[in-house]
Amino acid sequence: MTASRLVRLMIPCLALPGIALAHAAATGPVYTLIAAHSTLTYTFIQAGAANQGRFKVFTARFDPGAKMLTVVIDMRSFDSGDAQRNGLLGGRDFFDVAQFPQARFTSTQLRRTVGGYVATGALRLRGVTRTIAVPFSWRVIDSGGRQVGLLDGTTVLKRLDFGVGQGQWRATEWLGNAVTVRFALRMTAAAR
Amino acid sequence: MLRNTRARWGALSQLFHWLIAALIAVQVVLGLTGVALPLGMAKLATLARHKSLGITILGLALLRLGWRAVNPTPALPGNLRPHERRLARLTHAVLYALLIALPLTGWMMSSARGFPVSWFNLVQLPNLLSRSVPLYHTLVRVHVALAITLGAVLTLHIAAAIKHHFVLRDDILRRMLPGAPPRPMGTLPSAKE
Repeated sequence: MTASRLVRLMIPCLALPGIALAHAAATGPVYTLIAAHSTLTYTFIQAGAANQGRFKVFTARFDPGAKMLTVVIDMRSFDSGDAQRNGLLGGRDFFDVAQFPQARFTSTQLRRTVGGYVATGALRLRGVTRTIAVPFSWRVIDSGGRQVGLLDGTTVLKRLDFGVGQGQWRATEWLGNAVTVRFALRMTAAAR
Repeated sequence: MLRNTRARWGALSQLFHWLIAALIAVQVVLGLTGVALPLGMAKLATLARHKSLGITILGLALLRLGWRAVNPTPALPGNLRPHERRLARLTHAVLYALLIALPLTGWMMSSARGFPVSWFNLVQLPNLLSRSVPLYHTLVRVHVALAITLGAVLTLHIAAAIKHHFVLRDDILRRMLPGAPPRPMGTLPSAKE
């Protein structure tokens, strides 16, 4: 056995403790979405009145051990409750779902708070990526012998930060800039 | 004088009358403009103002009816024939009913469509109905029919006021005008002249 061969054999051995350490930080279950029992809604103020809509298709993955929260939203699945408004919001001036069919939030940092967490990370929406903070409560309950995680929270975004509202729709007097996003996610524990 | 007398409308009744009259004129313009505009910010703004003013008229109409209930109503002139009295009373009753029904059906329309009503961006009003597109379309037809009825009854109301003032030369219009004293009783011509 040559010296160079010995070194090559040793490399995996040297690397192993590093892998083990990285793994040690990410223990415990990973939670994935139970879509049928989860809601994701948005509310904006139009001419002084709250208008609510929802996203019907989205996925979420929460890994408390690795401090990772990921949410992926199918932007084509939104419903504002009105056919005419759906046409407008899905079009180029708002969500532009043909060009930007997906929105994604990926946390880069997770901080514990009383009763929950604040996930800070990148939200990519309508082709624009911005850092947002998403506070949420988290509790794990036992549901018929299964571990079910309940992830609830609210965050307020500014639609114009993401170009939601082009041209005349940039004005905020009759269509508020603030959009409240509410989520109530029911998640099931899965093996890592 | 703030209160009505048997001979003349008081200042508050006059204010209700002319304020609501002016708001109705604005409502017609806002309503027709709002419907005609393409979907855009101007349409949202116009319809929002139409809703706010409609709710204002509803409130004013209720206050006006309350004030009318606790005040004497000036008597109709003695030169009216019985069928004219009935017509005058019916016209006024229909006008009051429309001042309530038009804003209410508008509010119901917005509720059924799922566009809640706000009063001047200050107060969001509760939805009167749950969301239903077929009901919305029915309510639009009712709202428009009531608006056309209002136009017809107002035409009759204004024509009668003009006839009383310029042809019969009585004080019907003057007693609803601020500052204008009633014509002296001696100069009132009778209908038979």
